[in-house]
Amino acid sequence: MIKLFEHTKQVLVVTLVLITSLLSGCSSLGVEPWERDVLAKKEMALPTSAVDAALDDHIYFSKEASSGGRSFGGGGCGCN
Amino acid sequence: MQLIETTEQKQKQKTKPNLKGLLTTATCALLGTQAHAEVNTSDDKWRFDTAIMHYNEADRVTATEAIIAANKTYGNDEVLSLKLTIDALTGASANGAVAQPDAQTFTRPSGNGQYIVEGGETPLDNTFKDTRVQLTGQWTQPLSDVFTISAGGNFSKEYDYMSISGNTNLTRDFNQKNTTLSAGIAYAYDVIEPEGGIPKPFAEMVIAGFGSDEFDQAFADSRLTGDDSKATVDLLVGLTQVINRNMIVQMNYSYSSVRGYLTDPFKVLSVVDVNGYAQSYLHESRPDTRSKHAFYAQSKYHFGHSMLDTSYRYMTDDWEIDSHTFDVRYRVLFASGHYLEPHLRFYSQSAAEFYQPFLQQDDVLPMYASADYRIGELDTYTLGLQYGMPMDSGNSLSMRLEYYHQAPKSDGSASFGVLNDVELYEELDALIAQVTYSF
Amino acid sequence: MKKIKLSLSLFVLLVFLQFNAQAEPSLPESFSQVLEENKGQVIYLDFWASWCVPCRRSFPWMNTMQEKYTNDNFKVISINLDAQAELAAKFLTDNPANFDIIYDPKGKIARYFKLKGMPSSFIINKQGKVVSAHVGFTDKKKAKYEQEIAQLLQKQSND
Repeated sequence: MIKLFEHTKQVLVVTLVLITSLLSGCSSLGVEPWERDVLAKKEMALPTSAVDAALDDHIYFSKEASSGGRSFGGGGCGCN
Repeated sequence: MQLIETTEQKQKQKTKPNLKGLLTTATCALLGTQAHAEVNTSDDKWRFDTAIMHYNEADRVTATEAIIAANKTYGNDEVLSLKLTIDALTGASANGAVAQPDAQTFTRPSGNGQYIVEGGETPLDNTFKDTRVQLTGQWTQPLSDVFTISAGGNFSKEYDYMSISGNTNLTRDFNQKNTTLSAGIAYAYDVIEPEGGIPKPFAEMVIAGFGSDEFDQAFADSRLTGDDSKATVDLLVGLTQVINRNMIVQMNYSYSSVRGYLTDPFKVLSVVDVNGYAQSYLHESRPDTRSKHAFYAQSKYHFGHSMLDTSYRYMTDDWEIDSHTFDVRYRVLFASGHYLEPHLRFYSQSAAEFYQPFLQQDDVLPMYASADYRIGELDTYTLGLQYGMPMDSGNSLSMRLEYYHQAPKSDGSASFGVLNDVELYEELDALIAQVTYSF
Repeated sequence: MKKIKLSLSLFVLLVFLQFNAQAEPSLPESFSQVLEENKGQVIYLDFWASWCVPCRRSFPWMNTMQEKYTNDNFKVISINLDAQAELAAKFLTDNPANFDIIYDPKGKIARYFKLKGMPSSFIINKQGKVVSAHVGFTDKKKAKYEQEIAQLLQKQSND
């Protein structure tokens, strides 16, 4: 397997370039402040439901080798 | 002028549901505050999300989980979120040993009993029973018009396990809040204290002479200590971007590093002879560090009468587990405010480098080994359907039903002898049912 | 490092292009009329929408302000920015208002005032000049807004 992130310096530069280009790219995207009617809808929230997300995370954390990545998860051993 | 309209100010009287009043009082009592808001603040009322979920595997684990989440927005845009989770789990879980043509006898991890698994059956330890209580709190507040800070803690306790964690997160808005960057760090400390102690790596499961002093002595010799711990550090950076009036995307990178006891004290590996017959069972042994990188992207698109939510996660770790997760939800919105949301999830992982379904008698013991199918090659999918409806005064009710299927796959190691006649990679089906009420 | 410079210049270019692409918006006739009619009054001009949560909080406060300073040549004028009129109507049943509401579903007035967020408010003096601009509505901010209004009313009555 290729070892990712072996060279911290390169990673830093790549990350910086990525963030700057993302930000510059992003500045041409978006809406005016009064055009957020659709984005303000409940179903457009990230995540849609924190409770559903917590329950899902708990199941998959117990049943699969990968977990998290979306936000910080809660504790628990997830045994079985 | 036609454009201008003045409405009468009227006093609105609302009858609040009793449960909400009760929970509000309880929450306030817990916080040591007054249940009645002061006149001069614009604090919002407490909002509650309650859910009960039932998870049921055919012939294996059954779990019930209940959540009460409360949150309140204060007059200066601070948000306090509290959550109580209680879950109870019972049933049988694969112990890692391979199925055999004949019955097999195992000793329970506590050393207080034994169980027999019939020939041809995947060995399951059927004594799992645990209740977990978890408390979570999070405080979020703006620092300026563009910066927001958040800090939280978590405590969870079950019979043989304790976890305590803290996190903090900073976000910065750019471009009139169309772009948000966030960075966070979390630390968790977990202690495991299994009944019967922590087994020594690769110690043989003591089976013969159960009940005798020799057995007790041998069992004690197979144990290392009473408890062990692990510490986890998580780092997360994220970007949220509004694309247009109907679309938003989120991208995260997260890094997680765990150090400490990462072995499962309840799992063993079968040691088989050249004909595939199990000769003994050794407790598994995993490395004591693991670091993971995860890339997560999610997008939501609103079509007006429906919404499409798609996400993808790639995760890679130094145990050589790589995984891909695709998740799609499509919410159909009806004019009445009801909605129907089909859900599809696909997950695929490669095996940890030290995963092996069994050990061979004549082979040299590796440094690490585990036969836990959850770190082997594995594909899973979830099919689900959620139905939601609005209730009186802003409350809502939703129900969901999901079907979860796990298909462990061979790591490529050739099976031989009697192992050819048994199922080494048994598939698993589970049903998940959930009801959520928000008020 | 070359890449960083490149993306930085790209950033500058994009910002520049975006800046230039926007023509200066003009104030809709109907609203200039409203301002003209209300000259001689201190105006608290508020932009709101039904989906904006802090906007809900500002309504009781604006009602109070209108009531409290009504004899001091003070007026609250609010601009609703809902694309659909029925959403605004529903909001007003739940959050009654004792002040004027102007409907700007296309955001023409909002564009003229270059809103930075929601809610946004502007304090306009008796001469019809915008003296301050605010974004957001919180307990801390409402105290500040009222102070500004009171000061302006006092100053202008002394003039």
